[in-house]
Amino acid sequence: MNLFKKAMSRESTAGIIFTLPFTVGFLLFMIVPMGISLYYSFCKYDILSPPVFTGLENFRTMFADETFYKSIKVTFFFAFVSVPLRLIFALLVAMLLLKTTKMTGFYRAAYYLPSIIGGSVAVAILWKRMFATDGVINKLLQAVGIDCKFSWLGDTKTAIWVLIILAVWQFGSSMLIFLSSLKQIPMSLYEAANVDGANGISKFFKITLPLLTPTIFFNLVMQMINGFLAFTQSYIITQGKPMNSTLFYTVYMYQQSFEFYNTGYGAALAWVMLAIIGLITLLLFATKKFWVYEGGL
Amino acid sequence: MKKKLAVILAASTMAASLAACGGSGSSGGTEAAGTAGNKETTAQTGGGAPAQEAGGEGLLTVAWWGNQTRNERTQAALDKYSELNPGVSFDGQFSEWSDYWNKLATAAAGHSLPDVLQMDYAYLDQYVTNNLLVDLTPYIEDGTLNVDDCSQDIIGSGSVGGKVYSIPIGINAPAMVYNKTITAQAGVEIKDNMTLDEFVEVSKKIYQETGCKTNMAYGVSQEILQAMIRGYDGHVLFDNGKLGVDSAEEFIPFFKVYEEGVKEGWYIEPGVFAELTPGSIEQDPLVYGSSPETMSWVAFCWSNQFAAFNNAAPEGMELDLTTWPSKDPKLSNFLKPAQLFSVSVDSKDPVTGARLIDYWTNSLDCNQILLAERGVPISSKVAEELAPSLSESDQKVISFINEVVTPNSSQINPPYPNGSSEVSDLINKLEEKVCYGELTAEEAAEQLFTEGNKIMAEKAK
Repeated sequence: MNLFKKAMSRESTAGIIFTLPFTVGFLLFMIVPMGISLYYSFCKYDILSPPVFTGLENFRTMFADETFYKSIKVTFFFAFVSVPLRLIFALLVAMLLLKTTKMTGFYRAAYYLPSIIGGSVAVAILWKRMFATDGVINKLLQAVGIDCKFSWLGDTKTAIWVLIILAVWQFGSSMLIFLSSLKQIPMSLYEAANVDGANGISKFFKITLPLLTPTIFFNLVMQMINGFLAFTQSYIITQGKPMNSTLFYTVYMYQQSFEFYNTGYGAALAWVMLAIIGLITLLLFATKKFWVYEGGL
Repeated sequence: MKKKLAVILAASTMAASLAACGGSGSSGGTEAAGTAGNKETTAQTGGGAPAQEAGGEGLLTVAWWGNQTRNERTQAALDKYSELNPGVSFDGQFSEWSDYWNKLATAAAGHSLPDVLQMDYAYLDQYVTNNLLVDLTPYIEDGTLNVDDCSQDIIGSGSVGGKVYSIPIGINAPAMVYNKTITAQAGVEIKDNMTLDEFVEVSKKIYQETGCKTNMAYGVSQEILQAMIRGYDGHVLFDNGKLGVDSAEEFIPFFKVYEEGVKEGWYIEPGVFAELTPGSIEQDPLVYGSSPETMSWVAFCWSNQFAAFNNAAPEGMELDLTTWPSKDPKLSNFLKPAQLFSVSVDSKDPVTGARLIDYWTNSLDCNQILLAERGVPISSKVAEELAPSLSESDQKVISFINEVVTPNSSQINPPYPNGSSEVSDLINKLEEKVCYGELTAEEAAEQLFTEGNKIMAEKAK
C-alpha cells in the first residue's frame, strides 16, 4: 500500500497517466499498423486469404511497373508546382493583410476558410461541377464573350491544373504562419532602410525575404509532405483520369490495395513513398545552409 | 498533496476522455459498422440485451449495394420481416458498387462480415475459396430455406463445387436500354439480337439525324467485351490463368467501335465522361446531360436496371430495352442469377440468416415490397403471383427475359477467377487510350491479349 502511494506520488507517474491517452493511441493506431504494413510489403496478400511471404517480389514488380513511374511523375509535378505557387500566394496575401484596418479580421478569417474546408469531399465535388463543360467556369467565360465549351477535366493537359488550383486555393494555414512572422520583423530595420532611401522592392528583397526564410523553409517542408500525400482531390474529382494524367501516387496505392486486392503490393508502394518523402525532406534540409537565414536579429 | 491531486486529476481526465471515446463510438456506430461490420454492432446491442442473443434472435446486419430505389425497398422489406418476427431486427447497410466491395473485403479481413450479404457472381468464387460463406445446403435439406419452386439451374448457379453458397434473388439478362423518342425521331427501328455491325450502322444514322451520340458503357465495359467474346464459339474471357480467346483478333471489333466512333464523331467525346461517375444510372449519358453531344441514345446495363433508368429519365423520354449487340447473339445472350444472397461465416446466427433468404425467396409480402427491383423472382410461384402488382416497365422486363432472352441464350460463364478485376481495369484503360487516339484498335487488342494473359497467369499462381 505504501509502495503504491509512493509510486503514485512520483512526478513521472502523473506525466505517464496524462500522456497515456495519446501514447496508447499512437502505439495502437500508428506503430502496430505500420509494423503490419511493413510485413505485408514483403507478402503476396489479397485481404481475403492469409498473406504469403514472397520476399522482395513486390519491389521487383514495382520497378517494372509503368503505372508506378507514371504516378510518381504526376505526384512530383503536382507537389513541385502546387507547393511553390501556394507559398507565393500565401505570402502575397499575408503582406496585404499586414496593414491593420477595420476589416482585417474579417479578411484573415475569409482567406483562412478554404484551408479548413478545401480538403473536404464536398468541395472536391463542387470543384468537379465548377470545371464541368457546362460548369460555372465555362459559363463565366461565355459571359465575358469567350465561347468556351472546353472540358477541363477531360483533357490530359488541363485536368491536373484543376487539382493544382484547388490545392493553391488552400493557402490559409501557410498564410497565417507568414503573417505572424512578418509581424515579428522589427520596424527599426525598415526605418533604417527608409533613412538610407531604399524603395519598397529593395526593402522586400533585402529585409523581409531574408528574415522570412526560416518560415518559408518550415512551410516548404510541411507543404511538400502534404503535397505528396494528396489523395482526396484526385480520388474524388478525377479518379486518376484521363489516361492516368492525374493519378496521384496515393490513389494508385489505394487502387492496388483495395480495387485489385494486391494489398501486399500496395503496402510496398506505401513504404517506397515514405522513403521518397524522407529523401526529399533530407534534401531540403541539406539545402538549408545555403539560403535560410538563421542569425539573430 | 499537490502531486496526489495531479494524479487524481490525471486519472479522472483520462477516464472522462475514455468515456467520451466510448460515447462517440456508439453514436457513430452505424457509420463505423459500415466498414467494421456486424461484430461491433452485435457487441453494442449485446451489452444492453444479452438475453436476445441466447434465443437465436437479435440484430442482424444485412449489406447490399444499389441505388436509391433499392435501398428504400430493401429496408422496407427488412422492416416487414421484423414486424412478422418480433425480436429480430436488422441493421441495413448499403453502398455503391465499388465501395461495397472495399468494405466487404476489409470486413472479411477483420472477421466481421455482415450476417447476410449481397454477393455477386464475379466475387462468389473468391469468397467461397477463402471460406467466408456458409454452406446453405443443410438449411435447404432441413426445410429452413425452401427452394421447391425454383429451377435447379438457378440454384446451381449460386453453387460452387456442388454446395449452395448463395441464393439469387432475381434473374437478369444483359440489356441495352434505348431512348425510343430519339430512335423514332431518327426513323430507325431497333430490333432484338442485333449484330455489332448493325449497332454501329444505327448509331451513325441516329447521329446524322438527331445529333445524339452513342455510349457503349465507357469506363465499365468489361461485361460487354465478355459477352462479345462469347459470340466466338462461346469463348470465356476470364479463363483460369489465361484469357480464353484464340488470338487478339477477337478483341478488335470491340475497340473498333470506340476508335471509329470518336473519329467519326458519333461516339461521345471521352472528356465528357471525366465529369460523370461511371456506372451510376442517375448520371448515365442516356438520361443525364443537357445537349445532344453529351448524351447517348443507348445505355448498356442489366435488365433489372430498366426501372431505375425509367425513374431517372426526364419527363417525356420513352425508354425500351433489347439485347446487347454481338456477332452471334444466341451465344452471347445469357440469363444471370443476379444479386445473390449469402450468409457469412462470421454470423453468430446463420439460421435467422437462412430464414431471411427464405423469406426473400418465397414470401409474396416481401416481393410485393421489393417489386422485382433486383430482377425476376426465382420462385416461379412468386413470380406468377407478383405479376399483376408490377408496373408496366417491370412487366416489360419480365416479358423481355421470358420471351426475348430465354429462348435465345446460352449458359452463363463460370464465376470469374482471380485477376478479372485487374484485367477489367486494363480493358477500360485501353479503351480510354483508344478514345484519346493514343492507340489504334489493333494495338489495344494486342496489348490486352499479352498483358491480360500475363495478369491472369500471375494471379493463378
